[in-house]
Amino acid sequence: MGNEIIEQHIQSEYKWGFITDIDTETFAPGLNENVIHALSKKKNEPEWMLENRLKAFKTWQGMKEPDNWAHLHYPKLDFQNISYYSAPKKKTELSSLDEVDPELLKTFEKLGISLEEQKRLTGVSSNIAVDAVFDSVSVKTTFRETLLEKGIIFCSFSEAVQEHPDLIKKYMGMVVPPTDNYYAALNAAVFSDGSFCYIPKGVRCPMELSTYFRINASGTGQFERTLIVADEGSYVSYLEGCTAPQRDENQLHAAVVEIITHKDAEVKYSTVQNWYPGDKNGKGGIYNFVTKRGLCAGDNSKISWTQVETGSAITWKYPSVILKGNNSIGEFYSVAVTNNMQEADTGTKMIHIGKNTRSTIISKGISAGFSNNSYRGLVQIRKGATNARNFSQCDSLLMGDKCGAHTFPYIEIKDKTAVVEHEATTSKIGEDQLFYCKQRGLDTEKAVGLIVNGYCKEVLNKLPMEFAVEAQKLLAVSLEGSVG
Amino acid sequence: MIAEKTNTAQQIIDAISSTAGKVNFINDQALTDALLYLENKGIPTNKHEDYKYCNVDAILKKEFKNFSQKFKDVNLDEDLRLADTVTLVVVNGNYSEVLSDKVILKGLHINSFNQLNENGKDIITSQADVKKDAFIALNTAFSGQGFHLQVEKNTQLQIPIHIIYVSSCEGEALINPRNIIEIGQNAEATLIEHYVTAQNGKVFSNFLSEKLIHENARLISYTIQDEGDKGFSVNTNQVKLEKAAHYDNTTIILSGQLTRNNHNVVISGENSEAHLNGLFVTDNTQLVDNHTLMDHQVPHCQSNELYKGIIKGKSTGVFNGKIFVRKDAQKTNAYQSSKNILLSDDASINTKPELEIYADDVKCSHGTSTGKIDESAMFYLNARGISPDAAKIMLLNAFAGEVIDKIIPESLKELVQKKLGFK
Repeated sequence: MGNEIIEQHIQSEYKWGFITDIDTETFAPGLNENVIHALSKKKNEPEWMLENRLKAFKTWQGMKEPDNWAHLHYPKLDFQNISYYSAPKKKTELSSLDEVDPELLKTFEKLGISLEEQKRLTGVSSNIAVDAVFDSVSVKTTFRETLLEKGIIFCSFSEAVQEHPDLIKKYMGMVVPPTDNYYAALNAAVFSDGSFCYIPKGVRCPMELSTYFRINASGTGQFERTLIVADEGSYVSYLEGCTAPQRDENQLHAAVVEIITHKDAEVKYSTVQNWYPGDKNGKGGIYNFVTKRGLCAGDNSKISWTQVETGSAITWKYPSVILKGNNSIGEFYSVAVTNNMQEADTGTKMIHIGKNTRSTIISKGISAGFSNNSYRGLVQIRKGATNARNFSQCDSLLMGDKCGAHTFPYIEIKDKTAVVEHEATTSKIGEDQLFYCKQRGLDTEKAVGLIVNGYCKEVLNKLPMEFAVEAQKLLAVSLEGSVG
Repeated sequence: MIAEKTNTAQQIIDAISSTAGKVNFINDQALTDALLYLENKGIPTNKHEDYKYCNVDAILKKEFKNFSQKFKDVNLDEDLRLADTVTLVVVNGNYSEVLSDKVILKGLHINSFNQLNENGKDIITSQADVKKDAFIALNTAFSGQGFHLQVEKNTQLQIPIHIIYVSSCEGEALINPRNIIEIGQNAEATLIEHYVTAQNGKVFSNFLSEKLIHENARLISYTIQDEGDKGFSVNTNQVKLEKAAHYDNTTIILSGQLTRNNHNVVISGENSEAHLNGLFVTDNTQLVDNHTLMDHQVPHCQSNELYKGIIKGKSTGVFNGKIFVRKDAQKTNAYQSSKNILLSDDASINTKPELEIYADDVKCSHGTSTGKIDESAMFYLNARGISPDAAKIMLLNAFAGEVIDKIIPESLKELVQKKLGFK
């Protein structure tokens, strides 16, 4: 059953592919110390930041590009063929949305996340403050003033470097040091911009904070850096979503996200990722090599990652939590969809160090077309992590017989009081489920949509409401017509 | 992942080449390939994904500095013989006709490798690919005088065959025992492979067994590993199932400083099924690493795995099971379960249950859990006047029982229970 439907699905084009035509100022491709000097100067950075970058660059030079240890296949990258800076020419000192380049606003409108709409909705509690990242420079930060009243700092990373150097010095690289891995080192050397967020003691952030990443200029790598610090007893829900226009050459995205929660603090980080996955022959598409990690530094703190991954040609991403504080909690909810020639190797790491730490992993993989979708996760219970508890569930759904679904969990336990459970299943959509739906008048596509939505429900439920809608739409688009 | 090579392999080759007997039953091509593989790839370290939790290279470096290869004769401990079985004995990697039972069973043929004719010799390297793993290569290059066990087609062997591998040496030694087991069409056999050492020198045993189960044949096999605190071993089982074949293995690990099992089952004929069960009870500084691979190459097959571990002292247990379903292997049912109990603060367990699946119409799942002894069960027993120690033994017995109960020959079951001390 369903050959033509799969065919039809495979032929469905990337719906968000368009290019915004605005002037950008871009460095010539290539990477050396001079480029880093120039980049730092361009951003008017203090000396210590330049030093950090150069140090990271040295580290990076001494590292070897990782072999294909993950279940991924892609040609070697040429790091000298990437431009390390691209900024919209118009500067960012705008006081109102009207001054933002109209082209830019249109782009956001096409994505269905118009800033205008955000503006109009001012005062409503479900408001989202958007730090819009357009290529590399934050163009507009909304609601900043509102947030400042509460003492919340939410700005671009560059601004934070200028205005809050102490915080940046203290926290940057605390969770993901440049020595962590090849791409983290690269990012630390050449990161262009990103977001910084600081929630002071005891403050509950009144709105969802959000960044929309978009890779726009052709041939530019994007090296985002996000740092979220939640001080004692604070709470924030942070959203990150991305779409990117259609491109032919491969683009590299090597971002770093760091989260630090102090005592009793909680951070909820949600992602919807829909970068250009390449065409149906696997040509083009984004290489998404991201290091995301959270540190539950204080007791009773909590970090929760929720992700819906539908885009990118290659995804290599393991949002992790280091559970250092006693009674801290880590969560990971993920839906990863791959289609056509996409490949994803994604999962999480839960490192239990503190006592009575708990973690939950729910991962739902869906593969269609010729794609390969792997879950790779580590649950590590260190010695002395008394009464640690983990539950992991990794389900895979296969659509068609040319794709692959894989599970590679690593479970390392060094404490006898630990209780760790892991289960994984792989299956296709049941003929009986489809039959049941179709018999009640749903066509195959709607039935598949319904079943997939049900399959992912556990994860989708964890998304903030604003995101859940977009995520469901994305799932439907990504899996249009796929039948197992 | 390409692991960085160390010179351990070269040192081993140099150390044992002079004393190694001529391997004239393995063809030159395989010998050359094996040596080349060893020289190029070396002995795996923990940088090698398959040996992540079992750094054999480091262990060899630390424990085996000088292979003296001085072997001693063995007087087989009569306690090792099991009632109602046919005993075959392999001493220091070489099949011993003297110590083995001389029972003539219809349809059973046992020949040492050098007795085989040319056709017979070709089958020796037919299953284990020397270019896949360093230990297969090492065994092939320096293989001991093994044997070929064949059960003729349509033969139902009523008596289990008990193979005892015993090693005895002075100083440090490396041995490479090898055999090939062939179960003919519609035949049935039960095999017990029992690994022991005579306690004196340190032995690194690199076992390799190739098992070929022909159409509609059935092999029930048991692996009992009891190599003591000076026994280090890597045990590779390369099993191939043809159409409608049935393979059932139960592995019990009782002792051994290092026990690394590579149990690879290739399911190459439709409607066949494979079951792997395992129980490891570790203590002191033991390292037990169980690797299993279920390679589903064809449709309509079933596989089932159950591995249980009880980890005490400063020991480490590892379970890495992989279910590999190839593109054409539709309608595969594959299950895997790994359960472990940690009994000490210094013990650790690493599990890595993998699924790699390329066919959509399959049902595959794995589950793994690690925990402590159930407190409510403990309380229940204590409340009824059973001392904590007795209750603990009772609960561990029940935990291990799930695997031990798979053992059918009574004499073997008793031996295992006696050794485990749960009874």
